[in-house]
Amino acid sequence: MDAASRPAVVIDNGTGYTKMGFAGNVEPCFITPTVVAVNDTFAGQTRANTTKGNWMAQHSAGVMADLDFFIGEDALARSRSSNTYNLSYPIHNGQVENWDTMERFWQQCIFNYLRCDPEDHYFLLTESPLTPPETREYTGEIMFETFNVPGLYIACQPVLALAAGYTTTKCEMTGVVVDVGDGATHIVPVADGYVIGSSIRSIPITGKDVTQFIQQLLKERGEHIPPEESFDVARRVKEMYCYTCSDIVKEFNKHDREPNKYIKHWSGIKPKTGAKYTCDIGYERFLGPEIFFHPEIYNNDFTTPLHVVIDKCIQSSPIDTRRALYKVCVIKMPSYDSKYHSGSEFHFIGQNIVLSGGSTMFKDFHRRLQRDLKKIVDARVLASNARLGGDAKAQPIEVNVVSHPIQRYAVWFGGSVLASTAEFYEACHTKAEYEEYGASICRTNPVFKGMY
Amino acid sequence: MILLQSPSRFLLQILQDRVLSGDKGVDIDCHTVEFDDVRYHIQFSMRNPKVMVLSVALPLPPPEAMLYDGLPLGAIEAIKAAYGPVVQILDPPKDGFDLTMKINLTKLPPDEEQRNAVLTQIASVREVVLGAPLKLLLKHLASKTVAPNVDKLVALVHRPNESFFVAPQADKVTLVYPMRFQDSIDIVLATSFLQEFVEARRTSALNNAPSCLWSPVPPLELKGVPSDALNANAVVFPRHVEGKKLDKTVWSLLTFHAYVSYHVKCSEGFMHTRMRRRVETLIQALDRAKSDAEKLKKLVNGGSFKRLSLKNDGN
Repeated sequence: MDAASRPAVVIDNGTGYTKMGFAGNVEPCFITPTVVAVNDTFAGQTRANTTKGNWMAQHSAGVMADLDFFIGEDALARSRSSNTYNLSYPIHNGQVENWDTMERFWQQCIFNYLRCDPEDHYFLLTESPLTPPETREYTGEIMFETFNVPGLYIACQPVLALAAGYTTTKCEMTGVVVDVGDGATHIVPVADGYVIGSSIRSIPITGKDVTQFIQQLLKERGEHIPPEESFDVARRVKEMYCYTCSDIVKEFNKHDREPNKYIKHWSGIKPKTGAKYTCDIGYERFLGPEIFFHPEIYNNDFTTPLHVVIDKCIQSSPIDTRRALYKVCVIKMPSYDSKYHSGSEFHFIGQNIVLSGGSTMFKDFHRRLQRDLKKIVDARVLASNARLGGDAKAQPIEVNVVSHPIQRYAVWFGGSVLASTAEFYEACHTKAEYEEYGASICRTNPVFKGMY
Repeated sequence: MILLQSPSRFLLQILQDRVLSGDKGVDIDCHTVEFDDVRYHIQFSMRNPKVMVLSVALPLPPPEAMLYDGLPLGAIEAIKAAYGPVVQILDPPKDGFDLTMKINLTKLPPDEEQRNAVLTQIASVREVVLGAPLKLLLKHLASKTVAPNVDKLVALVHRPNESFFVAPQADKVTLVYPMRFQDSIDIVLATSFLQEFVEARRTSALNNAPSCLWSPVPPLELKGVPSDALNANAVVFPRHVEGKKLDKTVWSLLTFHAYVSYHVKCSEGFMHTRMRRRVETLIQALDRAKSDAEKLKKLVNGGSFKRLSLKNDGN
């Protein structure tokens, strides 16, 4: 049986969570934190003091330590319960930092989670648009050398996020992906499946900044929250009570007129003394998400609102793609980013993680973004019409901002859709090609358009 | 970590989620593939949220392995014995699969521990089905008899188009695994892995383990069977299959090939780790060897960023 007749393995390694599964499925088989717990006790010792007698013992202990590691939730549990394990987060801001642990992570994903033989399946991996080609080469080297995969395709995350929209809206692979991520927010224009690299914009405002802003607001108002808990409380407040408003002044008025309706209460227990405390949650409910639209209320270094950055990004793209880019603007806001993941700590509320709460803040987010973006575009069209003086009228420009219902694994889903098409197997780099030309073939990955 | 687990993680996760989730049902229709080309197709429908239809496809059998209705010998009986009333076998199986089972989650035992045991058992369906004939042979070994009407050499399928061979005797069972690796590096690693394996058996701690051997030529038992691969032998004695050890032994013997190839991949990974560390130390040594002037040069001319200030402008 040929590897191409089996479903491809799709692994989306994100900074916070890794999504893995088989192409053709609707959901990934596993969503697990991208973290490895390594037993480092023997790392430096094998060569250091080699007194003859115990060399063999040390050697085999070192070999055992190689196999002594855990990934995902197991890793977190282990590191909590014992001191021998060190947590290592192989991916930082979308880039692989530690190849040793990354390789081990993949090894466990393949053999222990998916339980498949890597020689039997084609692989689709993902990368951020800012990944340098050397990283791709390295990835290819590990995949082909260590795991002997028959074929590999490294796809760009925003392109996959666009591909995930196939089922909901029939569209070309053209659009802007607004990726509110872990460490940074990227705005990535994609035309026909190609990322327009020169127009990628990053802004330093993320979900974590929303949390920090709420924390700051609570502190300034003098709410009695124990300092060691305040970040955590702010995060929970963001998940449970935040929403996007349409007009900030009106929203202030609403709150002042009917405080009972809008002000929420938070109650908790101080971890040290065990005493109960409560605090009010008022304006920060809508001020939190507002920092994307009015960054000046949060910090003075960066004051360009999100919709202006998106507009600039589209304006800097090739002129023939702009109209299409305004038409499809996809927000990719991993809900776990706000929900389970803050800094380097993971929080789990029970075993069953249901999508709720975290998304309320973003319920109207895309509407607000669409409105603000439209305002800029309409003003520009009006201005140009006025300048031309009525001889030629510009066609109105359609502005659409959409958000996927499956935020949590939109990228994975896009990968699953693309990898289940027949074109995928042709677009892959094969093992034979790798052996012929070397790792450099992985530097570029041909764009293919999938089903449409 | 070192051994492959018998229950499929994914199946177990789906089953447990479903049992815990209460009555609300969502459609699930997904498929997964495991090592050695065992495929699963999992279906839940909205109408019957507590009934799972699980189809399993087994690896393509080679001509020498014997199958009965597409399943290994004794598989149906093994399923019935293992699951009881929870599982109902559908005949004929779904197109493209060898076995289709209807699993009724309402019939699970109410006690949580027992329930989890049954769920784990369902997730290990692979072991139950593929391991059935081997279990039969080993059971006879435990009672020191040879199963009636069994050939001197039994071929059992464990990989697509590949089988391993079992030679049952009253006091011992010999298993022979022909192993073929595609990659030349894999062959070398597998060879040394098997060497270590035999070596490790000799240490005092493992005195009671099944004795094993390997050789590049097929052993005497395999006379008449074409073979062109590394061959690993294991001899299992009655003491290895007493009581509860039986299940574990069956699983380990069944997945021996997968176990070796898993560890071949692991060792390649660890070698890369070592190589990376070595390169790093070499680069460090090179850096240290650089003269001070060279280091300074790099710092000064490092970038095109020239710090401008108002003072400089005046000059």
